Amino acid sequence: MVARLAGLLTLTMAGGMLLPIAASFYYADGAQYALILAALLMGAVGLFLRNIAGRNATYDLRERESFWITSVVWITVPLCGALPYLMTGTLQSFTDAAFESISGFTTTGSSVIVRPEAIPQSLLLWRSMTQWIGGLGLILLVVALLRRLSDGSLKLYAAEFSGTQQRKLHPHIAKSVMRMWFIYSFITVLLIALLALVGNSALDSVCLALSTVSTGGFMTAQFGLTGYSELTLGILTVFMFLSGVNVALLYNLFTLKWRRFKVNHEFVLYAVLFLFAALSCFVAFSIANHNFSLSTLHFSLFHIASTVSTCGFYTEGPAVWPFWPSVLTFMLILSGACAGSTGGGLKLRRLMVLFLYMRNYLTRMVHPHVVFTIKIDHKVVPSDYVNKIFAFLFLYICFIIGGAFLLTISGSSVADAFCLASANISNLGPSPLINSLGANLEYASLPMLSKWTLMVLMLAGRLEIFALLAIVSPSYWKRR
Amino acid sequence: MKNSDWKAVLQFIGPLLMAEGVLMALCLIPAWHFADGTTPQIALCSAITFAVGAFLHFRFRHFRNIKDRRMSYLLVVLLWIVLSLFATLPFLATGATHSFTYAWFEAMSGFSTCGATIFPDVAALPASILLWRSMMQWFGGFGIVLLVLALTPKLGINKYALYTAEASGADNAGGGAVRTVVTVRRTLTVYLGLTLFFILALLAAGMQAWDAVNLTFSNISSGGFAPASDSIASLTPLQQYILAGAMFFSGVNFTLLYLLFTFRWRKMKHKFDELNSYLFLCIVAVAFVVVFLHLNSGLPWADAFRVGTVQTVSAMTTTGSVVADYTLWPVPVTFLLLILAICGGMAGSTSGGLKTMRVLILFRNARAILHNRLHPHIVNPVRLNGKPVTGHISNNVMVIFIVFGGTLMLGVMGLMLCGVSPTEAIGASVGCLTGYGPGLGASGGFGSYAHFSSPALWYCSFLMLMGRLECMTLIILLLPRFWKR
Repeated sequence: MVARLAGLLTLTMAGGMLLPIAASFYYADGAQYALILAALLMGAVGLFLRNIAGRNATYDLRERESFWITSVVWITVPLCGALPYLMTGTLQSFTDAAFESISGFTTTGSSVIVRPEAIPQSLLLWRSMTQWIGGLGLILLVVALLRRLSDGSLKLYAAEFSGTQQRKLHPHIAKSVMRMWFIYSFITVLLIALLALVGNSALDSVCLALSTVSTGGFMTAQFGLTGYSELTLGILTVFMFLSGVNVALLYNLFTLKWRRFKVNHEFVLYAVLFLFAALSCFVAFSIANHNFSLSTLHFSLFHIASTVSTCGFYTEGPAVWPFWPSVLTFMLILSGACAGSTGGGLKLRRLMVLFLYMRNYLTRMVHPHVVFTIKIDHKVVPSDYVNKIFAFLFLYICFIIGGAFLLTISGSSVADAFCLASANISNLGPSPLINSLGANLEYASLPMLSKWTLMVLMLAGRLEIFALLAIVSPSYWKRR
Repeated sequence: MKNSDWKAVLQFIGPLLMAEGVLMALCLIPAWHFADGTTPQIALCSAITFAVGAFLHFRFRHFRNIKDRRMSYLLVVLLWIVLSLFATLPFLATGATHSFTYAWFEAMSGFSTCGATIFPDVAALPASILLWRSMMQWFGGFGIVLLVLALTPKLGINKYALYTAEASGADNAGGGAVRTVVTVRRTLTVYLGLTLFFILALLAAGMQAWDAVNLTFSNISSGGFAPASDSIASLTPLQQYILAGAMFFSGVNFTLLYLLFTFRWRKMKHKFDELNSYLFLCIVAVAFVVVFLHLNSGLPWADAFRVGTVQTVSAMTTTGSVVADYTLWPVPVTFLLLILAICGGMAGSTSGGLKTMRVLILFRNARAILHNRLHPHIVNPVRLNGKPVTGHISNNVMVIFIVFGGTLMLGVMGLMLCGVSPTEAIGASVGCLTGYGPGLGASGGFGSYAHFSSPALWYCSFLMLMGRLECMTLIILLLPRFWKR
């Protein structure tokens, strides 16, 4: 069963390779044959997994299996996705290739490629495509591909999006997933068109669009988006903001049910937070640099959108970084975007529940007999959900601390290690914050242990920890 | 909050101020013995403190009951503030420092058993002041509130509320009933016994009586002030190991120690879970630090073992005695020390930090949730010492965890805002909030906080108070809702 699904996805990836191959022929960048070979290899692996290892598959799924599938798929597919980097010789070591690929699929966007201009264009395309596929999630792809999974798909879906109570778009889960893919693709196409319209090259438009809507963050040049036109950055700001919104909610945007936005408290919080952060950053930057100009405002908006959606684009900003933007950035990295979006982090919905719970708790310390319920969107949040969020938060912090600890073993300072660990577990990737604190922006020069640590963190962040932990917990393997 | 409640609070503070005055008077002994010329000043401070305490006590002696639950929270906070305020007197009167900020920092660091010092050269201080610093920690380590309950068991205060405000979630999280008075008496017995034992042990190991008393006072309370500028680094290895033993015991639940020393070992099994994890964490951490120091820094095994063990125990019990300048050690080791300080010792001990009990509940709760996701129909409650921990309690622990973590982050940010470098801000924030004391950089190791700006020092002393009162008590005072009728 697992092998069959993993095989199916690998085959799909091999199919997806056709696009970079076409690009490769078009740009004649010399990577054609290596890419074809990689695609064939992936196809072969996929066929083997699907038709030989998984030929007796049944579609009887329980929670245990769904966790297993999620984790395995999220590990095998990115490893296959590393093949093109290795075959074309762009990245020499397996660690680097795996890092780049996992960073892509988890929409993190941390890159070990120092000069993206120098690698074949087709690979740039592949890099961004991995993000796009990972954006909505590999499992959602499975659910969309396999209509037969009707009953099990809900469990799979829950395994990938653990702990966020999703509102389904359609009573039928597969249909609802199809709608999500539709809206996702629609936004992507729209963004590509807009970017091309304002005068970017076709390759740039496609790559940046794929990175933006998936909140990935791979860029096509060494110094980020420095040198792109203001208009391009403006468009990207809007779309980064949108990609931090719940995908299901976005469906309402395009079906003109705008009232839904007002009653969605999470979105309201997200928007208010965004505006507050951007404006306060603008003020802080202006005072520190003695420069009240429109471009500072643009940069603040761009930077906050990039951070809050955990996209991770950066561009040339003000010379002086005062204290407040750095701190704010760090907090936004942890808080992340809306639940059910392509962004990472702890998710605002969870933080809202936590905040409400804490407020009630403090009141109860003074008045012990008061009874409270927590309501979000006018609906009561069950108390075991609160407990789950607590556990999730605790594990999240444990992962950050543990990751930072391993990073210090391989030579980072404590402050750097915390920044790196948080940026990668929240799937943000590169950020000017890391630079402003003096950490190494270039992931390429990190030692091997650090890279593998960061890979685990990225996966943990993307799978929201539980799915990853489930397969290493001893109780999982009991009663086989 | 009625007028009579306020008066009752003052009535409670009275005897403690009197006790503080008596302790201050004890500092006259070294002042006289070493003839350091501070006798009149110390005598004056002691008299003032005692007089104010006596006045409060007798003026309001008819107000014995606190009816409002909120008042007991307020009482706890006020106790620490007022006592620290009077504790600044000796520093200012003897001219040890002329700045009130410095004196306040040192007093708060003493009473909260933090152990962060403002004096770069401790050895130059008068002997009476040195004893006063150790005395504050010894007094504070036990918890002023516990003293209130032990000495005045007949008072009509809502003891349970007071006790939980001080050590919130400590014993009740374990599921055991809190028989406050008995617990407190036992704790006091153990505390006095341990103090006496370690003074004798240090004397037997060839230490001067003066050093033995000072070091025992500050280490058994998990404080960490030392009468020498290089903390405990220049002691003999045997003396250092004995102090490590004192620190280790300061991190163990005192009820458990009482059972241990009275040979009621069977009853101990009710608390085995926490003890086991405390020991486990201790052994693993020590092993890691020792091996890492040997391999990475090239220390010989004997040195690596001595230095690693003592410093790790010092961090884990949030004592903060420094055996070697750990700021020069490899980054992972110092990082681990900070993490250990955050975890802290066992609940119901004098150590700070989150407490092993809470960390244990957090882990078990996370594991239970994971199980629950894998097997949604399984009923498998979190257990501690064989008893189920209700969801209510584990949520309480989570709240404290979040508030603690949030305070820590705000601490780092606040200190950075006051112009402290990021690394040092992390170290100072952990050091002050957990009660470890020394941080990283210039304020870590054998260093002091003297180079911090005034706002940074005030902020640090606030963090110390936060940490000692386990955040919640102080935080609800900051809520507008608290002050409403």
